[in-house]
Amino acid sequence: MERAPVRAPLIKNLELKVGLLLATTGVLALAFIVYVLYARGTFQPTQDLILLANNAEGVTIGMPLTFSGFPIGQVKRLDLTEDGRVRIHIAVPEKDARWLRTSSQFTLEKGLVGGARIRAFSAVLSDPPLPDGAERELITGDATEDIPVIMARVKAILSNVEAMTAADSSINRALAHVDTVTGRMTGDYGVLEGVLGGPDKARKVVEALDRANTLLTSLNGISLRVDQTLAKADQRVFGSGGVMDQTDRSLAQVNAILTEVRESLKRADAILLAAQGAADNVNAITADVKGATTDLTILRVEVDDSIRKVNHLINEINRKWPFRRDVELKLP
Amino acid sequence: MHTALRFLTRIGGGALGWLQAWGRLLTFGARALVETFTPAVYNSATRSVVLKQIYFTAWQILPGFLLFAALLSYVIIQIVVTTARDFGLSEFALEVSVRVVVLETLPLLTVLFVALRSGAAINTEVALMNINNEIRALEDVGVDPMRFEFTPRVIGGAISVYALTLLSCILALILAYIAVYGFQPWSLSDFSRVIAKIFTPTAFLTLTVKSLLFGLAVTLIPIRAGLEAPRMLFFAPIAVLRGMVRLFFVIMFIEVASLALVYM
Amino acid sequence: MIESQPEAALVSVELPLRANLSVLENIAIVPQYRQNLSYDVAADQAWALLARLNQTDCAFKRDPSLNCVERFVAKLLRAVILQPPIILIDRPAMLLPDVHYPPFLAATLQALEGEYEDCRILDYAWNAPLYAPR
Repeated sequence: MERAPVRAPLIKNLELKVGLLLATTGVLALAFIVYVLYARGTFQPTQDLILLANNAEGVTIGMPLTFSGFPIGQVKRLDLTEDGRVRIHIAVPEKDARWLRTSSQFTLEKGLVGGARIRAFSAVLSDPPLPDGAERELITGDATEDIPVIMARVKAILSNVEAMTAADSSINRALAHVDTVTGRMTGDYGVLEGVLGGPDKARKVVEALDRANTLLTSLNGISLRVDQTLAKADQRVFGSGGVMDQTDRSLAQVNAILTEVRESLKRADAILLAAQGAADNVNAITADVKGATTDLTILRVEVDDSIRKVNHLINEINRKWPFRRDVELKLP
Repeated sequence: MHTALRFLTRIGGGALGWLQAWGRLLTFGARALVETFTPAVYNSATRSVVLKQIYFTAWQILPGFLLFAALLSYVIIQIVVTTARDFGLSEFALEVSVRVVVLETLPLLTVLFVALRSGAAINTEVALMNINNEIRALEDVGVDPMRFEFTPRVIGGAISVYALTLLSCILALILAYIAVYGFQPWSLSDFSRVIAKIFTPTAFLTLTVKSLLFGLAVTLIPIRAGLEAPRMLFFAPIAVLRGMVRLFFVIMFIEVASLALVYM
Repeated sequence: MIESQPEAALVSVELPLRANLSVLENIAIVPQYRQNLSYDVAADQAWALLARLNQTDCAFKRDPSLNCVERFVAKLLRAVILQPPIILIDRPAMLLPDVHYPPFLAATLQALEGEYEDCRILDYAWNAPLYAPR
């Protein structure tokens, strides 16, 4: 039988070409599926971490758990417990689980821009590692929620400062500055600045506190000098010399000392400026809620301490400077 | 009164005709789908039609199409990345560009390209086959035209659209990586994380189903439109026109429906 | 898989060849589709039939480039390869307008002897004198 000379006259290697295309497509599709599964962590052994929160608003399936900015886990499931709390199941790949320790803290943050974030903080990496299936509290920190709290804290600090400045106008002026600051903090810019803040706030706070301490030391020096002056005045007033004759001169000295006190108050003003700087930094910390709260507590304690010291100093000046009232009585 | 009645009759008739056309299209599609999964359909003759359809629809345009898809995706990705950087949202740039390009633009672009090229060709060929009575001739020699000419084209068209979509999407993903991270392999884990976030099972399924539906639409509608033409030569352009318009609306409907399904 | 054979295969001017397939493919498609033969085997069968009629020259031509005889042969072979009980040639005058068709038909059918069971020619009564008396 004669045979047809050309098999497929129209298209050369039709089967080969189509087969090549289909095989490439198939292999790529399969490879892509495998890659996506790999990217989704299907092939990685994971351990469970359960976080308990009062409110899981903003938490979504697939959300990452970050440690130092690196995602180390993913939210797999959310459910509600009998007592109305939220259980957030997080799968942490075993190779990343070493970053989680028994002492680790977990926070949920919601910024003004972008979604919520769950972050892990492990201060002591030498602690025993977190076991599989561990349950931990999730500290909820919402930048917008926290602003009123921080404001209240700043106001408490300000009321302390007010106690210190009851008698003097110069510190009141400083207080007005702080008020301006808090006013700015409530404004859009202050808050936005706060949320997107920089990293070197801690250093600045510590610097401000150092300066405050230096100032207190120098205030102590002033009080010593005031003591000396008082001793001299005692000599002059109650000593052998005529008191009434010396009154003018001692008043001049009083003026000089008052100038000095004014100087020192100006420096207290500087403290408050530093405190204002600190307040700005507090603003900057709002994104880092945990850090902010710790720093703020320290700051508050130290500021309280400083205020107590300054109060004490003023009381002492008042006590050791008996002429003050007398001069006021005499002048009119 | 009489005019109103006639007007209403005409509207009703038009609506009925419209519904019947869509009904026939759906019946036809269902039949093609059933035949797709009937092993008896696949014989030596139909297989060769499937192969030819894939060859004409996918293989022939592959280099040009991939080049065009690469250029377009690269430009879109660059625009998204640059804009995102300007607004300080660069961490979302990759996700946004992949969503825009891979999940939406490329599947739509592929199907529009195939519709313009192969869809129009199939529509014309079927219309001419129908007008020339070639379909009856095939039936007469014992070849079922549905099984021999139409179902294989539907299968080939769907496979082609899927293959083109997949190839262009993977190319776009590679380009997205290069556009965002530059030509270096160390950011693969960042990239993987974003991919993992985008390609949830739902997104993957939506993309696959959408692409397959596109592939079905791009062959089924032109074939049906070609078959519906009255058997007179001057109806051929009208059949092509109707088929193409219908195809456009169906493609847009599938796209909008998939968007609604994913983002609502 | 062999399906039930149709009663008659028609060779008619109203049933054209598939326009985008060559003559060989048009003939081969029938066993390919009906018996699931591979293209090579089916094409060999078609080629053999064409060879019996000395028409292999037109094997790779498509419909528009065929002359009447070639087109008729392709249509006839497409019917023959189906192996129906009856082949009906409908109005050969329309299929072969410029051929003295009765002797041509007789010669063609003679050459295909054994490939088909029965062949009838349907023609107008006024063409009856053209045919040789049986």
